[in-house]
Amino acid sequence: MSFERIKPHLPWITLLVLVLLVGIANPSFFDPAGLLSLVSDVVPLFIMALGMTFAIYIGGIDLSVQQMANLVTVIATVYLANFGIGVAVIAIAAGFIIGAFSGFVTTRLFVPSFVSTLAMGFVALSAAKYLSGQRALYMDAELRDASFGWMFGRTAGVPHELAIAVVLLAIAWFLQTRTTFGRALKAVGSGELAAVASGLNVDRVKILAFAISGVFAAIAGLIFSVKLSGGDANLANGFLLLAIVAVLVGGTPLTGGVGGVINTAIGTLIVMVIRSAMVYLEIDATQQQMVFGIVLIAAIALTIDRSKLRGVVK
Amino acid sequence: MAEALLVEGMETRIMSDITAQTAPPARWLTRERVIKWAPLLVLLFLVLLFPFFEWLEDFREAKDHIYLADSRFFSIRNAARIAIAATPALMVAIGVTFIIIMGSIDLSMEGTVSVCAVIFAFAFLGWGGTLASWAWLAIPLALLVGAVVGCINGLVHVRLKIPSFMASLAMGFVGTGFALLLTGGDRIRVEDELFRSLLTVRWFNFPIMCYVALAMLLIAWFIQSRTTLGRNFYAVGGGEELAHASGLNVSRVRIMGFTLAGVFFAMGALLAVGRIGIAETATGNNFMFISITAVVVGGTALWGGIGGVWNTLVGVLIVNVINNGMVVIGLPNYVQDGVLGLLVIAAVVLSTDRKTVSFVK
Repeated sequence: MSFERIKPHLPWITLLVLVLLVGIANPSFFDPAGLLSLVSDVVPLFIMALGMTFAIYIGGIDLSVQQMANLVTVIATVYLANFGIGVAVIAIAAGFIIGAFSGFVTTRLFVPSFVSTLAMGFVALSAAKYLSGQRALYMDAELRDASFGWMFGRTAGVPHELAIAVVLLAIAWFLQTRTTFGRALKAVGSGELAAVASGLNVDRVKILAFAISGVFAAIAGLIFSVKLSGGDANLANGFLLLAIVAVLVGGTPLTGGVGGVINTAIGTLIVMVIRSAMVYLEIDATQQQMVFGIVLIAAIALTIDRSKLRGVVK
Repeated sequence: MAEALLVEGMETRIMSDITAQTAPPARWLTRERVIKWAPLLVLLFLVLLFPFFEWLEDFREAKDHIYLADSRFFSIRNAARIAIAATPALMVAIGVTFIIIMGSIDLSMEGTVSVCAVIFAFAFLGWGGTLASWAWLAIPLALLVGAVVGCINGLVHVRLKIPSFMASLAMGFVGTGFALLLTGGDRIRVEDELFRSLLTVRWFNFPIMCYVALAMLLIAWFIQSRTTLGRNFYAVGGGEELAHASGLNVSRVRIMGFTLAGVFFAMGALLAVGRIGIAETATGNNFMFISITAVVVGGTALWGGIGGVWNTLVGVLIVNVINNGMVVIGLPNYVQDGVLGLLVIAAVVLSTDRKTVSFVK
C-alpha cells in the first residue's frame, strides 16, 4: 500500500494515534463513561463546525457562526415563554436568513465571504445586544424542561445530545453525498468557473451553503442556551476559531471541494482529544494554549492531503 | 480562501488585461480611476457625514450650529483621538498588507503582538525600566522577536506546505499561549515617563506615536514601491507560477514577507503598550479581524496583487472614523457593531470593480 493511498485516511489515523497516545499515558482516559461525557460536551462545537464545513467546502468561510449562536441563545431565552418549542423554528429561521444574506452579499455584491460574514456577525451581535438589553438572561427551569427537556438525559446509556449530533451529521452527510445540491457544492468548490460554464446556478448554491451554515450555527446556539439555561450576547464566544480549526484539522482545506462533513466529525474529535489530553496529562493551565497550538500545527501538517490542493500552497 | 482565489484571480486579471488593451483612449474620469479612489471618497464622505448628524441634532433643537465649524467630530482634538486609536491597528494592518498582496493571509497577529508586548515589557523593566538607560534595547529586541515569530510562521507555511491561513492561525495560538506562559496571566505595567511620552507629548496636537506610525508607513511604502522585495510581493500575488517560472525564489519571498509582517506586528505591539501602558496576554486581542477588515475596506484584494500600504491607511482610518463617529453622534452602544458591519460591507461594495472580478469566495 503506497503512501498516496493512505493519504485520504490520515485524519482518522491521526485521531486513532492521538487517542492511543493519551490512553497509554493515562489509562483512565479510556473510561467509557468519561469518554461519552467528553464527546457530548463537544456537541455544540461540532454542530457549528458541521455548518462551517459547507461554507469552507465551497471555498469560502463563515465567520458569523459564533455571533449567530450568541444571537440564538438570546432569542431562545427571551421568547421561550411565548412560543415554547416554537423558538426552535424562530432560531432556525434567523440562522437561515442571516446566513442567506451573507451569501447574497458575497455572491451578488462581490464582498469576500471573510468580510461579509464577519460584518453580518456584527449585525447579529447588535441584534443580540438589543434583545438581551446587554444583560445575561436566564431561562425558567420549568418552561425549559417542558420544551427542551428531551435534549438531555440518556437512553440506554447514550446521551441524547450525542444522538442529536449523529442525526444532524447524517442529514449533512446525506445533503453532501446523496443530493444534486451536494454535487453542486462539490462542483463549485472544485472550480467555480467550470461550474458556471456547465450551467449551474452557482450563486444559488453558494447562498444556500451559507444559509445552511447559519442554520447549523443556530442549532448549536439553541443547544448551548438550553444546556446553560440562559442567553447572553457573549455566551458562545471563543467557539469561532475552534470551529474553523475542527474543520481544517479534519482535512477540509480552505480551497474547497475536498473533505466534507465526516472529516469535520473526525476533526472535532481530534480537537477534543487534544484539549482533554492536556487535562489528563496534567499540563499546567498557562502552558495549555501554547501546547494546543504546537500540536495543532503537527496535526494539520499530518492531516492535509496536499496532492488535492490545487496549484501552489498559498 | 485566499489561496483558493489564486487560479481564478489570475484568470480575471488576464481578462482585465485584455479589456484594458481594447479600451478606448483613456479619459480623465474613467471607471477604473473612480474605483481606485473609491476608498478615499468613502473616507471623505464619512468625515463629512458624522458632522452632518451633529448639525441635524442641533438643528432639531433649534440651537446655533454652523456645519463643520461647530462640530465636535470635525475637530483637531477628535482627529488626534482617532489617530491614537488607529496607530497600533495601522501597524498590524500594514504588516498583513504585504502578506495579502502575496495572496496569502496571516492570522497570527494577535499572538505575535502579545508575545512582543510581553517580552518588551519584561526586558524593559529588567534592564532599567526607563528609556534613558540600556532598557532602550528592549525596543530592538521586541522588533527582533516579531521578526523571529514571523519567520517561524513563514517557515511552517512554506516548508511544511501548510496553507498560510492554517499555519498562521495555529502560530497565533502558540503566540498567545507563549505570552500567557510568560506572564502567568498577570499584567505588566510600563510606567516610564519617557516611553509613555509616545502618548503624552504632543507636537502640533498629535502625540509622538502618530509620527512614529507615519514614519513606519513611509518605510513600508518605500519597501513596497522602491525595493526588489516589494516588487516581488506583487509578482507572487499576481501569479505565483509565473513568478516561479521567471526564476524568482518564491519560497524565500514568502518567508521574507512573513518576517517583515512580524516586524510590523511588533511595532504595533510597542505602540499598543505605549498607548495603554500595560503589556499582557490580551494586548493582541481584536487585532485580527479589525486589521484584515481594514485592509479589505481600503481596496486591497484578498486574492493578491492589488492594493498597497496607502490603501491600508485609508482602510484603517475608515474603520476608526466609523467607530469614533458613532460614539460622537451618540448612537446607542448596542447598534454600533451592526452599523459598523453594514458600513464595512458598503465600503467594500463601493471599492470593488465588478466588471473585472467574475466572482469572489
